[in-house]
Amino acid sequence: MIKKLVVFCLFMVISFASDATVEIVKRMDVLPKIAVQDASNSMVDLNFRRTFFKLIVGDLRVSSHFNVHDEYLQSSYEGGPIENFLSDKKVDMILRFKIEQTLNSMSANVKVINAKTGATTSENSYQLPDKKRYPFLAHKIVIDINAQIGAPSIQWMEQSVVFAKYVEAKKSEIIISDYTLSYQKTMVTGGLNIFPKWANKEQSAFYYTSYNGVEPTIYKLDLRDGSRRSVISGSGMLVCSDVSQDGSKLLLTMAPKDQADIYLYDTRTRKINKITDYSGIDVNGNFIDNDQRIVFISDRLGYPNVFAQGINDKNVEQMVYHGKNNNSASALNNYIVYSSREDKSEFGRNTFNLYLISTKTDYIRQLTATGENLFPRFAKDEDTVMFIKQFQNRSALGIIRLNANKTYHFELKTGKLQSIDW
Amino acid sequence: MSKLALTSLAVAVLVLTGCSQKSPEVDMTKDTGKMDTKSTVDDGMSALQKLIASLEANSKTIYFDFDKYNIRKDQQANIDANAALFNTQEAKGFSIKVEGNCDEFGTDEYNYALGLKRAKSVKDGLVAKGMVADRITVVSYGESNPACTDHNKACWDKNRRAEFKVLP
Repeated sequence: MIKKLVVFCLFMVISFASDATVEIVKRMDVLPKIAVQDASNSMVDLNFRRTFFKLIVGDLRVSSHFNVHDEYLQSSYEGGPIENFLSDKKVDMILRFKIEQTLNSMSANVKVINAKTGATTSENSYQLPDKKRYPFLAHKIVIDINAQIGAPSIQWMEQSVVFAKYVEAKKSEIIISDYTLSYQKTMVTGGLNIFPKWANKEQSAFYYTSYNGVEPTIYKLDLRDGSRRSVISGSGMLVCSDVSQDGSKLLLTMAPKDQADIYLYDTRTRKINKITDYSGIDVNGNFIDNDQRIVFISDRLGYPNVFAQGINDKNVEQMVYHGKNNNSASALNNYIVYSSREDKSEFGRNTFNLYLISTKTDYIRQLTATGENLFPRFAKDEDTVMFIKQFQNRSALGIIRLNANKTYHFELKTGKLQSIDW
Repeated sequence: MSKLALTSLAVAVLVLTGCSQKSPEVDMTKDTGKMDTKSTVDDGMSALQKLIASLEANSKTIYFDFDKYNIRKDQQANIDANAALFNTQEAKGFSIKVEGNCDEFGTDEYNYALGLKRAKSVKDGLVAKGMVADRITVVSYGESNPACTDHNKACWDKNRRAEFKVLP
């Protein structure tokens, strides 16, 4: 019954939100109310159990598909007449987890209980060989319960984020994390290493630019064996902006003649083809239309804006007719998300906002209202955008759930975010 | 309902491995090829290093307006002075690297490209004053190399700049 109700309600919401550029200003608040119970043995550290609980509650909330009762509750794993109903909480569902740890690994047993009937509707067991990655386990549990109620996929929660952060002048680090920054593993240190970009869908390798040699150099770091190889070097600036769906082609911003343009690099043949050709600035290429076209940022109108052109076609199309300083963009299918400086004044510090457009309509949707919101990147679906939020000399990862019209921030404890990919 | 619950009860063992990630991390300060010549002054410096440090110290930083990469009129004299400095007999044997920098606004490729255009404008200015283009390379550090870390107009003015490195 709950599943049917949820599916119906989500269908209503999604039906009215099929165009993501249309902002939902009024929605039915009939999401299933869920409570989370910790049934772990008391031998497991209570602080860790609470941390795990908070991750699950946070994921449920970010999914935007549940009405979350966020009180920390304990129970036995088997449950009983009171624990399986939580009548005083008036919840529809209960997610009950029991975690166990060894020296390096951890496991979890998870039950989903219909709080109206007290019956267990599903039960899963999870094994995690590296317990440091426990945030991903929490995300996986929520992805599974989300799928069980028939809600739109939140598979993106499993994606790893790779980001660069400045630690001091000309020094940065590249780190892999989960989307909440709860898990972090430093992958590259020493000198200036920036613009990391996943090399494939499996996220088994990433490209990044190092400024530690004579010239900027793009390296590929393979996470499976830790190997690193040089891909290409070039003077001026060098960035891997995007990777084709099959991982065989890269969009590079290069400046072999001191002039930033966008090039196509074939990883198999190592051939390079120049795509854009303009005496000003062309950067930030993103594949669209099944890798046959690109969107990019150019100042060819005298200010940075979003344009598109074919890989083999020199005709350039202006994509955005709003704003006078649109300096970063990301594309997925028919959608483009971009950051725009609202005020050309250098004193307007809190003036970068994100906007979403569809290539099929003229509608523009403003996604943020205040602060510096930069570097937007789509998830694998069109419903979720990640971006960099700068505030009071600190940085955060932002997550926008477009259909739910909600934004979440996850603060970086140290350093300043330079770029992200996921 | 309980029957439905029982029939839908499924126990699955799911193993989450993620992508196995090797450690320790890559330290790019090791085995990354030739490093830039250091310009730090210390007692152990060779005559060559002292000359390079002197040339760098005597070069004049070029400043830019917000979101611009053209050479300001008030900066032309500094371009002229730098061209004269780098064309002196003692400096002629060196290459010059022009480093373009930006203020803290923006964390994207555009900022790095803006820094590159600033470096290129300086290079063009030096060439116009008689320097050989082949002696000059350009690089952008975007917003990664602030000269000043306060958050006010005076500081941002100092960060929108091009600086010079002298290479043997």
